[in-house]
Amino acid sequence: MIVIAVMADLWRGFRPYFIVLTPLVLSIMLINTFLYPGAQSALFNVGPFTATAEGLTAAAQAALRVVAFAASVGVFALSTRTDELVDDLEQRGLGRRASFVISAAIGTVPRMAERAREIVDAQRARGMDTEGGLRGRLRGLLPLAGPLVLGALTDVEQRTMALEARAFAAPGRRTVLREHPDSATQRALRWGLSLLAVALLVLAVGGWLAWLP
Amino acid sequence: MSLRLEGVGYRYAGSATDALIDVDLAIEPGEVVGVCGPNAGGKSTLCLVAGGLAPLTIGGQLRGRVSIDGSATAGAKQYEVAQRVGILFQEPQAQLSDSVPTVWEEVAFGPRNLSLPLDEVVARTWGALEALDIADLCERDPGRLSGGQAQLVALASVLALQPAYLVLDEPTSQLDPEGTRLVAEALARAAAVTGAGILVVEHKTDLLARLCARLAIVEAGRIVKQGTAVTMLGLPELDELGVSPPETVRLRRAVEATGGHWDPSWT
Amino acid sequence: MTPSAGAALSSEGLGFVYPDGTRALTGIDLLVPAGIRLAIVGQNGSGKSTLVRHFNGLLRATEGRVLVGGEEVSRRHVAELAQQVGIAFQNPDRQIFAGSVRSEVAFGPRNLGLRGEELESAVKSALEAVRLGGEGETNPYDLGYSRRKLLTIASVLAMRTPIVVLDEPTTGQDLRGVRTIEGIVATLAAEGRTVIAVSHDLRFVAETFERVVVMRQGTIVLDGTPSEVFAEANWATLRSTNLEPPYAARLGARLGLGSTPTEESLVSALSAGT
Repeated sequence: MIVIAVMADLWRGFRPYFIVLTPLVLSIMLINTFLYPGAQSALFNVGPFTATAEGLTAAAQAALRVVAFAASVGVFALSTRTDELVDDLEQRGLGRRASFVISAAIGTVPRMAERAREIVDAQRARGMDTEGGLRGRLRGLLPLAGPLVLGALTDVEQRTMALEARAFAAPGRRTVLREHPDSATQRALRWGLSLLAVALLVLAVGGWLAWLP
Repeated sequence: MSLRLEGVGYRYAGSATDALIDVDLAIEPGEVVGVCGPNAGGKSTLCLVAGGLAPLTIGGQLRGRVSIDGSATAGAKQYEVAQRVGILFQEPQAQLSDSVPTVWEEVAFGPRNLSLPLDEVVARTWGALEALDIADLCERDPGRLSGGQAQLVALASVLALQPAYLVLDEPTSQLDPEGTRLVAEALARAAAVTGAGILVVEHKTDLLARLCARLAIVEAGRIVKQGTAVTMLGLPELDELGVSPPETVRLRRAVEATGGHWDPSWT
Repeated sequence: MTPSAGAALSSEGLGFVYPDGTRALTGIDLLVPAGIRLAIVGQNGSGKSTLVRHFNGLLRATEGRVLVGGEEVSRRHVAELAQQVGIAFQNPDRQIFAGSVRSEVAFGPRNLGLRGEELESAVKSALEAVRLGGEGETNPYDLGYSRRKLLTIASVLAMRTPIVVLDEPTTGQDLRGVRTIEGIVATLAAEGRTVIAVSHDLRFVAETFERVVVMRQGTIVLDGTPSEVFAEANWATLRSTNLEPPYAARLGARLGLGSTPTEESLVSALSAGT
């Protein structure tokens, strides 16, 4: 039961990545396998196209790279809460301004989307045609960008004053609200994996991994 | 002991005209002083100057003297002034830090900035939430509050710095009647619980009539009238000054203008 | 284009559910005759702004239908409906984009096809109506909040639509600003145009509009003249949605003068009594 529940959770988290990656990986596989330039060793034919061994290898390499990249982003996004990350960075000496910028930037994204929708609504209500093809849409960009940027700037101005009025610029390290548990296993993994990555890099650069495809 | 403006003038950076001219105003601890007047007359500037933001944060040129309990704010740091004078603006969401997931952490933001010990941060945060009777909001996402609730959270965030004075720039202008009622009650509570001296700018003169003992009318950068709230809100020239009289005053005038009799017990 | 007379607007069994499943409107039956001054009141979240967004097709009914000038809006583009319904939204900073007051106001009428002389005169009279006649070349963001708000109202007036919707027009206005807006409503009504305002300001509503609709949780709970809606019998309903009847109405009821929602009605009831 627990295994199924965990799997279901994982699937829910990874599904968006999967949806984006599947067509990408499929097209990488097809194009490389069948159309790899200068490939000699034919495997089989599909109509006028010939699958080659070199192509298949290149396809697997490229696809693995993409998946590895997306998976690392996914694991980070799914396993890390931004407020905890920023807290932790702050405890490790990141300045209050830098950490504020990170968390505020992340918090702003959904609000910007909402604001953009409101602005577009107001302009459409004044007869701006956004339903009439690409030209109409492009013409609609200026009336959107203006208030979006200016509004964001006024917001920044107001927020700066409000934050200053809450002693944001006081000197010293801000009070830490909670210590985040950092188990021996986590520490070991963090160091171990970092070392492994460095080691692999050294080996790859030094040409000791040439036996890998 | 007072928040005091003496002969204060102010000019925004890059501006050719004075936004405030020769302003004298004092707020004693525990008293609520109202400010009203036409738009663009200098009310918001007065708030920025009283809260130290002008010129400490936004620059510009200050003349005269602004002092808190005897010590001038000139040359002080904004974070020092912030612990003496709290300031609240019109737009509820624009003054939240937008950087934390809960109301509790939003209110703790100020005390944390002061690097206070953790138990002090916790005590001040609960203290501010309880002073406004909004401790039940503590787990909520600050971005998903109603306007009135967000304004109360913003006020609690300021109170957590335990200022002796509060400056409020049209705190209810963006709120619906329910939000206005919440904020007005919170202000009365804050005045009673914290003993802070309060300067509040408002168009809603009915609200000022309930909250304030004294009132100043600001127009074209100057305080043109100052006195008890009852006298000020009964001035016959209030309309010309761009201030809408409280409903009771307005109705009394309408009745008397048609030769009718106004019974004082009707107010 | 000459200022056109008002158009009628109606909804039948209008319901709206947001894509995330939140229900915002239920069974709204509303008949707004041409040329009327109608105010919609209710606390935040009662569905007022959602309702008016159906009048020009920004939101599409999930149940029932909306008719503007006798025609159903469901299949018409927002840009097309903009010729009939102009809406000035609540927050000016989510609308103003142009570098000058004049070009901001010209945006709407230009979209509707006005050019040259006609465009100029539409812009000019709209700016004069909100007392920004001398600010044509000013950058909108150099104006204060309340004047930016008046600018967005001018931007809609310049479109000369038969139906004008104002969302919270008096927010942040001082006495002069409120008077200006009262004047605009009166002028529009005199031209025979339909004016619909969403507002929290019940005094403004009682003094300026001939019909009041009260909303609560996505439904209409009261609909009538100010004197009907603000009568003592309805106070419990008003208070159930956190609205306090205007002071004139409260005083009139206390003195046993019947329903006196406005200063004028109270004064005349008083003088009739003595």
